[in-house]
Amino acid sequence: MKYQPGLPEKNDNVSHEHPVREFFVLVAGTVAILVGILLVAGLFVDRAVEYIDPELEASIFARFVSGDLADQTAEEQELQALVDQLGACIDVGYPVRVSVTESGELNAYAMPGGQVVVLSAMLDRFETENALAFVLAHELGHFKNRDHLRAMGRSTVWLAVSVLLTGANSDISALLTPVFSVEAATYSRSRESAADALALHALNCHYGHVGGATDFFELLAESDPKRRNLTHYFSSHPDAQTRIRDLQALAESQGYASR
Amino acid sequence: MFELYFLLGLLLVGYVVGQILERSHYRSIEKREAEHIGLATTSSKRPIGEIPRPTRVELVEGACVISIDYFKRFVAGLRQLFGGNVRSYETLVDRARREAVLRLKEQCSAADQVINLRIETSSISKGNRNQVGCIEVHAYATAIYF
Repeated sequence: MKYQPGLPEKNDNVSHEHPVREFFVLVAGTVAILVGILLVAGLFVDRAVEYIDPELEASIFARFVSGDLADQTAEEQELQALVDQLGACIDVGYPVRVSVTESGELNAYAMPGGQVVVLSAMLDRFETENALAFVLAHELGHFKNRDHLRAMGRSTVWLAVSVLLTGANSDISALLTPVFSVEAATYSRSRESAADALALHALNCHYGHVGGATDFFELLAESDPKRRNLTHYFSSHPDAQTRIRDLQALAESQGYASR
Repeated sequence: MFELYFLLGLLLVGYVVGQILERSHYRSIEKREAEHIGLATTSSKRPIGEIPRPTRVELVEGACVISIDYFKRFVAGLRQLFGGNVRSYETLVDRARREAVLRLKEQCSAADQVINLRIETSSISKGNRNQVGCIEVHAYATAIYF
């Protein structure tokens, strides 16, 4: 036997597939599985929310609520009266408290547990009660639709999935977080539209017309810079113009009077 | 979003730098392998062919530690979800093995034969989380001088 030196013609011990291709295939597969899990889990969450009664919800979120009806200022009492009247049109199932917070921002929040926080700029800038009533009814709509429970259920699922799938704080979950953000933002926009629709219904039920429903969004549209490129997909609210358009279309289809 | 951009930045740097270094390493390996091709190296316990009485016999060894880049580690992490060939680690092991054998040969380039070649691989990072994978390959053999 003679020893014959030689080098192999090609290296069979390494794959010659392009690594970037493998990267994209794996990322696409992971994202697809994740989106599938989130969609299915979302359906389960929506189903589960139906089984949670308002008393249980109130006790889940009790720690978030602060303040007492007795501590309300005159301004807050006025808003509270309006909310109580609107409550006849949207039955939330538990008491809702209103408070006002000093802020130059145009916004109002529905806090878990039945608290509506109105920022003071809203009271200064609104010209009609109807405009304010629409915003309050919108927040009541969030309570009525159980949007806090839905959002909480979804983020719980996300937390579980991301920890189980990739381990906490791993780089892969950093890559997948935007997927969830986009999914959550898309879902949130649909909940905002649902709350808008309920608010429009409540406005018509309370005043007999839907005048002033779009005032808030018209104010927003003035100060809102045009959204560009990708930020739209990450935004939790539809943009003001879209909401105005949707409300007008809905009012027309339902035959609500505009004045 | 910042987290994502940061991650993509790391992946890009890892990929570009990793590819450049890997290619230059492979060029060096292939060139040196061609230079040392004349030195008969086997894993056999006995010398090859009819040989005169050896004048000198010695233990020679070569070792090297090579790390994987960020991009490859990330791809391997995704691969763990699905299973299959961890292709991104293949070049790491291949380069380390060939480099270790080359270092061994360079230590005894005047020898007539190298026999009983053994290769050991060990992981430096021991599978720790959030640590870049890196391996040591240790090659040892007997060099014979006639």
